[in-house]
Amino acid sequence: MQKFVIVALNSLLAAGLYATMSYGLAVIYGVMRIINLAHAGLMMLAAYATWALNDRFGLDPFLSMIIVAPAFFVLGMALYATLIRWLPRSAAGPSMQSLLLLFGVWLVLQNLAYAIWGGDTQSILTPYTMESVPFLGGRLGVPQILVFVVSILSLVGLNLVLRRTYLGKAIRAVTQNRDAAMLSGVNAGQIAAVAFGIGTAFAAMAGSMLSTLYAFTPDFGRSFLLKAFCIIVLGGMESFTGVALGALVLAFIENFASAYTSIPVSYQDAISFTLLVVVLVAAPGGLPGLWRMLDRRVVAR
Amino acid sequence: MTALLRRHPALVPGVLFAAFLLLAPVFAQRGMLNDLWNMAFFVVLASAWNLLGGFAGQVSLGYSAFVGIGAYTTVLLANAGWSPWLTLPVGAALAVAFSVAVGLPTFRLRGPYFTIATIGVGEAVRVIASGLEFTGGSSGLRMPQGTFDFNANYYAMVGLALLTLALVAWLQKHAFGLALEAIRQDIDAAEALGVHSTQAKLTAHAISAALVAIGGGLFATNFQYISPGSVFDFRLSLTIVLMPIVGGMATITGPVLGALLFSYLQIKLLASPTLRDSYLFIYGGLLIVVMLFEPKGIVGLWERLIGLRPRRRAQPPVGEARRAS
Amino acid sequence: MVRITWLGALAVMLLGLPVRAQDEIRIGAVLPITGKESKIGGAYKQATELAVKEANDAGGVQVGAKKMKVNLALLDDTSDTAKSAQLVEQLITQNKAHAIIGGYGSHLVQAQSVVPDRYGVPFLSGGAGATAIFGRSKWVFGTLSPVEHLAETQMNFLDDLVKQGKLKTPLTIALLTENTEHGNDYAKGVNDFIKSHPGYKVVVQEKFELNTTDYRPLLQRVAEAKADLFLADSHLEDFIAMHRTYTQMGLKHQMLTHGARGSDAAARKALGPATDYVFASGWWSDLLPYPQVKEFKDRYKAATGTDPQWYNAMGYETVRALLAAISKAGSLEPEKIRAALVGLKMEKSIVPGQVLTFTKTGQADLPFVVTQNKPGGKVDLVWPKDAKTGEPVAPIPAK
Repeated sequence: MQKFVIVALNSLLAAGLYATMSYGLAVIYGVMRIINLAHAGLMMLAAYATWALNDRFGLDPFLSMIIVAPAFFVLGMALYATLIRWLPRSAAGPSMQSLLLLFGVWLVLQNLAYAIWGGDTQSILTPYTMESVPFLGGRLGVPQILVFVVSILSLVGLNLVLRRTYLGKAIRAVTQNRDAAMLSGVNAGQIAAVAFGIGTAFAAMAGSMLSTLYAFTPDFGRSFLLKAFCIIVLGGMESFTGVALGALVLAFIENFASAYTSIPVSYQDAISFTLLVVVLVAAPGGLPGLWRMLDRRVVAR
Repeated sequence: MTALLRRHPALVPGVLFAAFLLLAPVFAQRGMLNDLWNMAFFVVLASAWNLLGGFAGQVSLGYSAFVGIGAYTTVLLANAGWSPWLTLPVGAALAVAFSVAVGLPTFRLRGPYFTIATIGVGEAVRVIASGLEFTGGSSGLRMPQGTFDFNANYYAMVGLALLTLALVAWLQKHAFGLALEAIRQDIDAAEALGVHSTQAKLTAHAISAALVAIGGGLFATNFQYISPGSVFDFRLSLTIVLMPIVGGMATITGPVLGALLFSYLQIKLLASPTLRDSYLFIYGGLLIVVMLFEPKGIVGLWERLIGLRPRRRAQPPVGEARRAS
Repeated sequence: MVRITWLGALAVMLLGLPVRAQDEIRIGAVLPITGKESKIGGAYKQATELAVKEANDAGGVQVGAKKMKVNLALLDDTSDTAKSAQLVEQLITQNKAHAIIGGYGSHLVQAQSVVPDRYGVPFLSGGAGATAIFGRSKWVFGTLSPVEHLAETQMNFLDDLVKQGKLKTPLTIALLTENTEHGNDYAKGVNDFIKSHPGYKVVVQEKFELNTTDYRPLLQRVAEAKADLFLADSHLEDFIAMHRTYTQMGLKHQMLTHGARGSDAAARKALGPATDYVFASGWWSDLLPYPQVKEFKDRYKAATGTDPQWYNAMGYETVRALLAAISKAGSLEPEKIRAALVGLKMEKSIVPGQVLTFTKTGQADLPFVVTQNKPGGKVDLVWPKDAKTGEPVAPIPAK
């Protein structure tokens, strides 16, 4: 029982990070129907930016988010204005062209990091990096708890923006029905730029958080990108709660699989990759879609 | 003869180039032959991928799995006493089986969803392969001694490259190629016209998987050493995709041009530190430029240039003007 | 006329044999200078270049009647196995290297080691201890002793702590190894020792992939097993990443090692006091009590500004061994260099035991040292006993 609680708690903590990491991907997909493969590169770049701020100025990685996230918001807007804007729009679904273009951006970002910081593994050491607090006979790492708290705060903050401000409402409107939103006077181009900025800023926050937990290289982020993609597919691609739900499900599956089965731990990453394929194929609408489908069957009966 | 040449303008340079490749061991040095071998390998990968990714428009980022299956089959069976040549068809058969197993579920997905799923499959295969005992883990495996014969391997690889090109060219001209074309342009319309899309995609996937796996087997014999990190690598999948995209998808010449460009780049990259440090800039930059300006790659650019030339002239000669009208 | 010039140019390009100086020793080296193994790969580069520079500054190497300068071509394989082998091939076919200095990292050297056999070129590696690499080809030599013996040395060290009463059997072991030949050899060394020594038991044994990002699931299993000893075999990057998570999870063991890693300055910078009391076995230590070691240390520091770690020393000594063999061979013929390597007996070497030789498989088999980190960035040599600079602390004291 005690083991169960510890594993569940660890899953919950991981889910917070996973949700932050995935939300950036979801908001861009929602507004533009673009799968942002550069997400991994942006997370990596933000991890390096956080590290550099810490290394140069001794800035705490969590405080540095106050600088890094807005900077990446601007970077995202710039990326939109220089590259994404010129892509042909497709109403139906994401285009191959956008996927490959952003893939190119990812590669360029990786090389940028190699050029600036070299290929060495970097990590951030703060006074609390190695601290942990006892809990129910186990221990929880302080950075993990902090990451969870900041994740929740940022997601709640974003949710408020989406629900209370005109901009947020417009973003949600475009996500739900682009044509209707444009008919009611929403400037879709502007909204897309802002959404890309928000998505990039969330990638940056996730990157800063990851940098407090893990060591990283310019190659960092691929497995996290696939996890994030798995989460938004699980979450039905566009809804806010869907992302949170997907993050929880993936984190619980991963943690419980390694705690309660004898699958070699080196296969842990394969869990999310396999889950991604299975969900894409078996339940393209993600968990909400599955839920609606089951619901309909019950009603029909 | 002239009619044939007019219909296939690439025939003469193609035949000359093939002859050059086949005669190269007579006069060229080993270093150059290594480069040519690599080029032929890339042509196999790019052209085989193009069958599914280009003609049928199903962009897969998981092709290193087939290289790995072919390479591992060859190494494992060779270590069990088989002749490396006999392992090639086995590797191809396993790759076909795997391509069907992966294709059956994932071909239900469309466009980028399919692509993302193939990244997932490719990564899962790599992770599992590195964890398996018989793959040698990250240390990899070696071929048994005495299995290395460069010239035989060279001819086999060049032969495979020519075979791949001929096969793709032949398929393109026949009903199967047209079916793939239809799937790429509009899968629903193709279905409505009676194209069995899943079957066609599975077939294209299987053919290209077999070719790539044979290439992987020859790769293993030539390098005498493989590891999951070298044959199941994401970067390999990436290179396989970039070659046809940069060269020009859904054409015969595109992937060949891409393969020539990338094998040249790779040779240069190996030799020059500054270039090596920026290969991702080059790859990523090419991808961005191609996607923004010319999604049909080098071939598209060339066609556009040729198409533009008469228009630029102020007063076209009478003959040309007449032909153009 | 123009046509003839063109033909001439074409002929030169095709036959393209650049003129090479006859009186030089062309040494090729392929190292991971960028990528995952870059930290230690870079140290090998520095050490290799220093050893070559010293030989050239001394007027070159005596080969037969002539003194020849050493021409080093050093390439970067970006820690990529396929590229690594290709580059060795390129050095042999295009640079016409007389001998090759192998890379760092057992998996990379494993990939390289198939090439020398193909062309009949002597190959000496100073950065791979996995036994699977050696004994297959008569051209492949290595200065790092077998990893199995490294593990055995660590177990002997622990067993001695038991005899001293510092640790008490029965002791349970968590054994984590990377999924490479290096890791397999380490696990074999530990398991072989346990077979002949009652009182030890492995309660959890897991493999991990190189450069794993998240070690939490792996360490979660270790935590549940509640072992007394934590024995891992990791590369530097993995040591840093794993030990970081280990400390965050508040794990504790009576003794902890990551094989050859522990005293590395890079790890101490990345992990801080969390590396205190970690013990490590190595192929070399700057604490070895030989005069030539002290002299080497000062010379190295003066030339490069860095204090040599075991990889600097072994990289340096590997080049010296190769040049000594070439000098002994009195010729640049591959067969003669190979024969000289087989019979090499390099006295006054800086390696433990002071004499560098190769066994029948081509791999060196020298004693190992054990060091332990102490608080304040101090490191003590704690094994072998006759060379120790401080007492081993066991079990690791609670904070």
